[in-house]
Amino acid sequence: MWKHPWGYAEGLTICGGLLLTGIMLQFAVGKVELGRLSYPFGLIAGALFLILLIVLHVASRRAGLLRWLSGQVAAITAVSALLLLVIIMGLTRQLPAYEDVLSEASARHNLSMENPAGRMGFMQMTSAWPFALLFLYMLLILGLVTLRRLSRFRLKDLGFALNHLGLFTALFAAAFGSGDLRRLRMTAPLNSPEWRAVDERNEIVELPLAVELKSFGIDEYPPKLMLMDNSSGAILPPGRPAGVEVEASPAVLELAGWQVEVVKYFPAAAALINSDTTLFAEMEMEGSAAAVYARVRDANGAALREGWVSCGSFMFPPIPLPLSDKVSLIMPDREPRRFSSEVTVYTKGGDRRRALIEVNRPMAIDGWQIYQLSYDQARGRWSRYSVFELVRDPWLPIVYAGIGMMLAGAVFLFLSKPRKE
Amino acid sequence: MQWTYFIYFAVAAAICWAAGALFAWREDGYRWAIAASCTGLLIFAAFIAGMWLSLERPPLRTMGETRLWYSFFLPAAGLVTYMRRRYKWILSFAVLLSLVFVCINLFKPEIHNKALMPALQSPWFAPHVIVYMIAYAVLGAATLAAVYLLARPAQGKQSQVMELCDSLVYVGLAFVTIGMLFGAIWAKAAWGHYWSWDPKETWAAATWMAYIIYIHFRLHHPSRHKAAMWLLVFGFLLLQICWFGVNYLPSAGNSVHVYG
Ligand code: HEM
Repeated sequence: MWKHPWGYAEGLTICGGLLLTGIMLQFAVGKVELGRLSYPFGLIAGALFLILLIVLHVASRRAGLLRWLSGQVAAITAVSALLLLVIIMGLTRQLPAYEDVLSEASARHNLSMENPAGRMGFMQMTSAWPFALLFLYMLLILGLVTLRRLSRFRLKDLGFALNHLGLFTALFAAAFGSGDLRRLRMTAPLNSPEWRAVDERNEIVELPLAVELKSFGIDEYPPKLMLMDNSSGAILPPGRPAGVEVEASPAVLELAGWQVEVVKYFPAAAALINSDTTLFAEMEMEGSAAAVYARVRDANGAALREGWVSCGSFMFPPIPLPLSDKVSLIMPDREPRRFSSEVTVYTKGGDRRRALIEVNRPMAIDGWQIYQLSYDQARGRWSRYSVFELVRDPWLPIVYAGIGMMLAGAVFLFLSKPRKE
Repeated sequence: MQWTYFIYFAVAAAICWAAGALFAWREDGYRWAIAASCTGLLIFAAFIAGMWLSLERPPLRTMGETRLWYSFFLPAAGLVTYMRRRYKWILSFAVLLSLVFVCINLFKPEIHNKALMPALQSPWFAPHVIVYMIAYAVLGAATLAAVYLLARPAQGKQSQVMELCDSLVYVGLAFVTIGMLFGAIWAKAAWGHYWSWDPKETWAAATWMAYIIYIHFRLHHPSRHKAAMWLLVFGFLLLQICWFGVNYLPSAGNSVHVYG
């Protein structure tokens, strides 16, 4: 071993050494505090890494051993070692990076303290020293490979350049930018500007912008009718629950062998509940619920039962329609198709913008992205607040540049011919 | 243009594509294969264009509409690959996959208005999933070839089959990469960050790395076939875990990828 040229044994030994060093560091100083990499330290660390890369690249023209670092064997062994850690990560339950595994929080999870995986940092893999060292080693190799090929670039290397430079760019920005990533949660009440949010540890943060919720709404899918087993509460038929959507009245629907005639359908109705009867009147109001007056026959067509069935709301109870001792017709809660918040956002600079924020449609303002996250589940459509996630990631454009290169590189990979043997 | 006309266009295009795929298997069929495939593509494109005009928007909104594009792009991509690499099988493979989507549109169109939870209602949803499905099929084919060779080491043909595996893995890895990156872009729009090491993402990364190792290993040691074949089996195993195995792992805790 250690005779030139180096092979897999040497490559794997280096990775093993880094792994051991990482584990010892983990025991000695605890996990990597990625939060410390926030501006300007992430930027400085990234710059130092790039300088190291260039120095090694220049030096490798002279020293053969350094040239090994930009070879296939180094690449294969480094990716394999990292793969081992990723597999371990996939097999162990991961705790959020901000939690302190070795202190009070560990009591809650009750497993991390004695657990060797927790000790070595494997339960918070992305902030564990072994992972960090092997990742940086792999990134260094990737950088050296890319530099070596780019320094004598020819057009036929374009695919190579897009794949390797793209991956390097994306990973570099993701890693050194991770300290600058801010993710906050804000609960915005109706009609009152909110400028405070909480971070992962539930500590309050004041923001340079304020969000005022103007209105909140949920678009729901049409209500469904289903059959429920009276004793177990399970939806029938067991295993593959059947349901029919109610979209209009009058209509005749077929549900698992029963014939359901929709006599009246009110998308929004209020219940008038007496001691022995329940009636519904069509009415759009806070807390109104969908209701159907149904006439249900069995397979033979004999008239069986008729009555109201409703999904209920925070105001009204759900109303089932019992068909027999065993079975009831029910209307489960309607599924949301879309939930959205109409907001006005004010910035410190005096800017003021209105926007509609939905799931999958965040709003971007002043370097922040505002996401629809949640609402008052109990009140549903009539929620009086909306929960937003606010994200700031100044390194994102660099990550996207890398992703763009990789997408183009994938097209080259698709079209390229493997080497002939 | 309306959906009711789809069956006529689909059948006509499918006949052309099938003819093209058959021609590709014949030594002298190159030109005919291209001509037939192009005719099929034109017919299908005419339907898409007609839908576009009559809807007054690009037909990209419902699942059925996005499936139209996949049914179109699969044979198109197959044709480009065939013209570049002259693989006899590629047209048949692409046409078969495309017909799956055509048939879903013909026989199961009710999926159009099925309830989708809000996070899934994204233009990235269909590409993300379908690109992964294609990768799955291609890498599965490579694994089958490797298992075949491992079970019956045919000395003469080994290099040829390994080359076939290589080209399948190049195509498969290209799709895995695209699927993963589409997923990242979508995650940014839906959940606020492009990569969260959710268990599904972790296993996707592991799968991706295994195939990266395979590619570089093959470039470096073209003659070490056996190790390469085991790498293929290993990579496919990771892909299985990523596909459905994660749901049974203790790490799956509260994955955002577990629906319903
Ligand atoms: C996006 C992921 C990647 C893809 C698709 C990819 C693909 C390729 C391909 C197709 C080649 C041969 C190119 C040619 O010779 O023209 C190659 C070469 C190489 N790759 Fe990668 N690779 C990827 C990631 C990596 C990583 C992560 C490393 C190292 C940590 C790496 C290290 C190398 C090395 C050392 C070579 C040989 C370069 C040379 O001999 O000049 N690659 N890669």
